[in-house]
Amino acid sequence: MNTYIQFAAIKFRNNMAYRFEYLMGILNTVLNFLVYWCIYKALYGGADEIDGITFSMVTTNFIISLGLTNAFSKNEMFLHDKIKQGTIANELLKPVNFKFRMLFEDLGDGFFKVIFNFIPAVIIALFFTHIEPPAGILSFSLCLISAVLGYIVLWEISFIVQTWAFWLFSIWGIVTIKNVIINIFSGVLLPLWFMPEPVMNIIKFTPLDSIFFTPVQLYLGELQGYEIIFNFSKQLLWIAVLYIIGEFFWSRGIKKLVVQGG
Amino acid sequence: MNKTIIDVQNICKTFKITKRKSGFKGSISNIFHPEYEHKKAVNDISFKIREGEMVGFIGPNGAGKSTTVKMLSGILYPDSGSINIAGYVPYKQRKEYVANIGVVFGQKSQISWDLSPLDSYEVIKHIYKIPDRKYKENIERFTELLDMQKFIKQPVRQLSLGQRMRADIAAALLHSPKIVFFDEPTIGIDVVGKEKIRSFIKTLNKTDNITMIFTTHDMQDIEKTCERLIIIDDGKKLYDGSLDSIKRNYVSSRIIEAEFEELPEKIDIDNVTVSNVDNNKMKKLITFDTNSKGINLLMSELLNNYNIKDISVKEPEIDAIIRDIYEGKIIVH
Repeated sequence: MNTYIQFAAIKFRNNMAYRFEYLMGILNTVLNFLVYWCIYKALYGGADEIDGITFSMVTTNFIISLGLTNAFSKNEMFLHDKIKQGTIANELLKPVNFKFRMLFEDLGDGFFKVIFNFIPAVIIALFFTHIEPPAGILSFSLCLISAVLGYIVLWEISFIVQTWAFWLFSIWGIVTIKNVIINIFSGVLLPLWFMPEPVMNIIKFTPLDSIFFTPVQLYLGELQGYEIIFNFSKQLLWIAVLYIIGEFFWSRGIKKLVVQGG
Repeated sequence: MNKTIIDVQNICKTFKITKRKSGFKGSISNIFHPEYEHKKAVNDISFKIREGEMVGFIGPNGAGKSTTVKMLSGILYPDSGSINIAGYVPYKQRKEYVANIGVVFGQKSQISWDLSPLDSYEVIKHIYKIPDRKYKENIERFTELLDMQKFIKQPVRQLSLGQRMRADIAAALLHSPKIVFFDEPTIGIDVVGKEKIRSFIKTLNKTDNITMIFTTHDMQDIEKTCERLIIIDDGKKLYDGSLDSIKRNYVSSRIIEAEFEELPEKIDIDNVTVSNVDNNKMKKLITFDTNSKGINLLMSELLNNYNIKDISVKEPEIDAIIRDIYEGKIIVH
């Protein structure tokens, strides 16, 4: 385990080296908040609530979702770049589990972004907007746990798409499409409360609402008793399913590996 | 006799290569009807290597050397055949296996571009869980043997190729592996640098009894370090034996370089091979074996039957022997 924490620590330290970039990162996050805030302000047109959803709930949704997007760091081109440049050979020569090594590097990155990017941005955002406080200490802790599970779901999806680089060599297009789908249907752009019924019925059977929406609902205290257990089970189930799919592609892909150059 | 540590049986590896058609029309048709070509990079190679042996792997570009090394180091899966190294099946038990080996790729650096070699070594120490004492001991020893004091704390991007290569070699050996693969470690390095690398490799092979496989295009590397030589070409093993025995068997051949006054239509002498010298049409190289053709006889035949301006006798160099093997002029087995 210590070895993998090293990978996270190295990534964290490397990020520290680029100070200008992290200042820009804060600015970027604040601007993102501001744009969403303006759009929803206009959509609400002075009303306090639409369909029982208050403006501050919406604000809270996108701040948590954007915050998690920030924290849920994933280097989507990691495997692709290593395969393309042939440096995957060097990675495979290290006596470590490749997938864990990837995950921990992303965790190091995510940790950095939460501390130096998301938290400062939220503090700035609090000056111009109102965010709902968590429904309670229990709700907040449950939200954190489910955010971790949500991250694993998101990361597994990203990993699956990345393994396709073994066959396709260029996956930028697919990664982009995947990210657009996730942004729209997981509640980052448009809170899932506003999704039309038929669309929501489809989303319910996908891992998409497990990523951002479950933590948001827990934070706001919208889920009670049985629903909490149901949503956690759903997250765990998706993690298991996606893990199996990821392993399937990885084990096939690694046999097909062609080391480029040399 | 030491026990066998590397056992390779009938390994094959085929790559699927996309045939790119040129031009705009070609690109379009590539999208709808991609054409593939199957290239047998490694075709039924077997060999055994004993503990502590130092084996040179040579072959022309594209012969399958690197592919073989990559299969031996657990990166690539062979299509068929079996590999057993120190009790592991490399491609199946990759994580456990690679802790026991070191690999140096001359064309791919394994140490981080932005860090100094020493910082990279710290990371390696954690990855391989090298005990403090052993780590310190190895660093001190390698720094001295590879003459790295001057640059060990400089960022890698500021190092010369020769320095970087030395730093890379030290990195691959830091965890005291039992087996080390070198894939063209001397590529692009000057004479002094090469000499340092060779002597380091040789020293370590002797003192630590490390089994080593060494691919190269530089025959000097082989002459100075390896006792055993495996030649592969076109994915097949051509020769496996000592360098000495190649010399012994083929040093009996001599080359006569003859310059003719006027070019004969055909040089008709038994038991010799005639080849051209690149830039001079009047010059021919006549290779013969002293066992099957006496030099006296050949000389008199030449001088009596042809109009010759100049003549000289040469002993073939190892480079030339190898070239002849690659070109199929010498059949070895």
